[in-house]
Amino acid sequence: MTTPLILGLLAGAILSGTSLLYATLGETIAERSGIVNLGLEGILLIGASVGFSVTAASGNAWLGLFAAGMAGGLANLLFGWLVVTRKANQLASGLAMMFFGFGASALIGARYVGAVIVGLPKWRPSWLAGFRWVKATTLFNYDLLTWVAIPVAVLVWWALFRTRWGLGVRAVGESPAVAFAAGRNPAVLQYQALSCGGVLGGLAGAHLSLSLTLTWSEYMTAGRGFIVIALVIFSKWNPLRAIAAALLFGGAESLQLQMQARGSLISPFLLDMSPYILTLIILVAWGGSRRLAAPAGLGRTFYGSE
Amino acid sequence: MKSGLSVSWIVLACCLAAPPAFSDPTQLIIGVVYVGAINDYGYNASFHQALTQVATNLPGVKLVEVENVPESGEAERVMEGLVQQGAKLIFPTSFGYQDSARKVAKRHKDVAFAFAGDGDTAKNFGVFFGSTQAAMYPMGVAAGKMTKTNKLGFVIGMPIGYALGNVNAFQLGARSVNPKARTVVVVTGGWSDKAKEAEAANALLDQGCDVVAMHVDSPKTVIQTVEARGGMSIGFQSVEARVLAPKGWITGLGFTWAPYFTELAKSVITGRFRGEAVYQGLGKMVAIAPFGASVPPDVQDLVNTVAAKVEKGFNPFTGPLTDNTGNLVLPPGAKVGADQMGRMNWYVDGVIGKAR
Repeated sequence: MTTPLILGLLAGAILSGTSLLYATLGETIAERSGIVNLGLEGILLIGASVGFSVTAASGNAWLGLFAAGMAGGLANLLFGWLVVTRKANQLASGLAMMFFGFGASALIGARYVGAVIVGLPKWRPSWLAGFRWVKATTLFNYDLLTWVAIPVAVLVWWALFRTRWGLGVRAVGESPAVAFAAGRNPAVLQYQALSCGGVLGGLAGAHLSLSLTLTWSEYMTAGRGFIVIALVIFSKWNPLRAIAAALLFGGAESLQLQMQARGSLISPFLLDMSPYILTLIILVAWGGSRRLAAPAGLGRTFYGSE
Repeated sequence: MKSGLSVSWIVLACCLAAPPAFSDPTQLIIGVVYVGAINDYGYNASFHQALTQVATNLPGVKLVEVENVPESGEAERVMEGLVQQGAKLIFPTSFGYQDSARKVAKRHKDVAFAFAGDGDTAKNFGVFFGSTQAAMYPMGVAAGKMTKTNKLGFVIGMPIGYALGNVNAFQLGARSVNPKARTVVVVTGGWSDKAKEAEAANALLDQGCDVVAMHVDSPKTVIQTVEARGGMSIGFQSVEARVLAPKGWITGLGFTWAPYFTELAKSVITGRFRGEAVYQGLGKMVAIAPFGASVPPDVQDLVNTVAAKVEKGFNPFTGPLTDNTGNLVLPPGAKVGADQMGRMNWYVDGVIGKAR
């Protein structure tokens, strides 16, 4: 029985798109407050490693998931201390955070490489399980993170664009000086945005280790943190567009694997490049309009509140 | 065989600095360089287990192990460090260490190297590997008997000759007992990209495969993914992997290096080490894992019979063989030996995939 390509693609896109979406949402919140965290890859790794280690040690994947979120939030607070309080260069600090993440995650996870865990439980509504094509794929057989991914994206959008807090975050991202003059504290808002973003990044990493692979291995994110930084640009710093961005990129990755599984005669090396070619196309396509959408204060250090 | 940055080896390398105790009657220090972690249920675990056995069985043998060493200039520095620590026998266990290992071996003629790979040998540089390809033939027999959909999946890291050989022997074995069996190959593009391995296994199951085999550094992710979806798996690298699939495990191949490594260690201690190329297959460096509970006794007997044939020298790569594009790649009577496996660049008829 061969599943239609489109269903296989969709199943794969959701499978690999879930962690991409959480990470994109996290980075979007941080960048909306004017801070770009190039060390997201490290945050994902810390989330994956802490989530797996705590799950392996405690036998409870929920505890692991919680710990991963906390660890991601803490790691981003450390980053915040560097770039907000110490006013260090964001790009350099981000790269330093990335290497910190490589090392810290390797150290934390070392004892648990090869551990066998029971991952996050998955549910599929029984009325959906009756459909033949659904049963043949992973469609609708999801863990909690996947089920609530889109509601979380809507929630992030609501928080950023429909609340006073979100207005403050965005104002700081556009111009910390103006926000400061209007009585908002840029440093506090940036710390808040970074910790929310870190929690989402930690959860994204945990999805890889606690649901998709049930494995911890060093550098298992394999560059997804960097892809996400491109996805934030692609989605124009909008949490709702991020849903489409994550699905599209997840779909590109799934396309090459599904095509191979269907016996496509296209070279696997060429197919393997497709997600990255897509990233390049996206960056080129949006290149001209980037200025219009990016928070004006992104990447700049604010010295004024001292 | 892993792409990716790693820093933990630095930590380990620093630990090497501890001086040996005075009372230690150390006769030989064995240095080992791993590309991954030693408890990966896979490739690295197979070497670690074998060398631990050697250190336990031979008095005075000490192991110095460095994990997660990237296949770059770092490997050369790590091996230099091992030499400085007094290692007289070094195992560069990943194929990508070849250039680094050869450079270090040229500089230190008094240190023996046993490289897990192929290529030229020197007085102090031996090469070895377990030939899994012929042993994959009985694995294919098991898969061909167990499949209900007649579609077998195979996840490989990269389309190198050894991996292609495994796929081909698997398909030939499956076809020998099930004329309808076909093997679908998915290449992940790396030996240790876990997320892609999970997605590849899912894609194969989506497309109707019900048995999945693999050639990646650690079989853990693929086996667990297949098990969670109710599929069956054929393991690779370490026979221990069977605990990962209590329901869907059929059987698998694992490496049993310990006897050969013991010989090597003894030859270094007695000063008789000579760099040789040693390739051993089923029954020596390669073993078949116990069968899963779901495998009927008649299938077990059949697989064991075929395995015995392979142990006695049966070569599945015997012409006439056509590749999956219809070309005759092996004329009648011609054979591909274990030593030529690295150059294999075609898929046999019945494999769904593109070799180049």
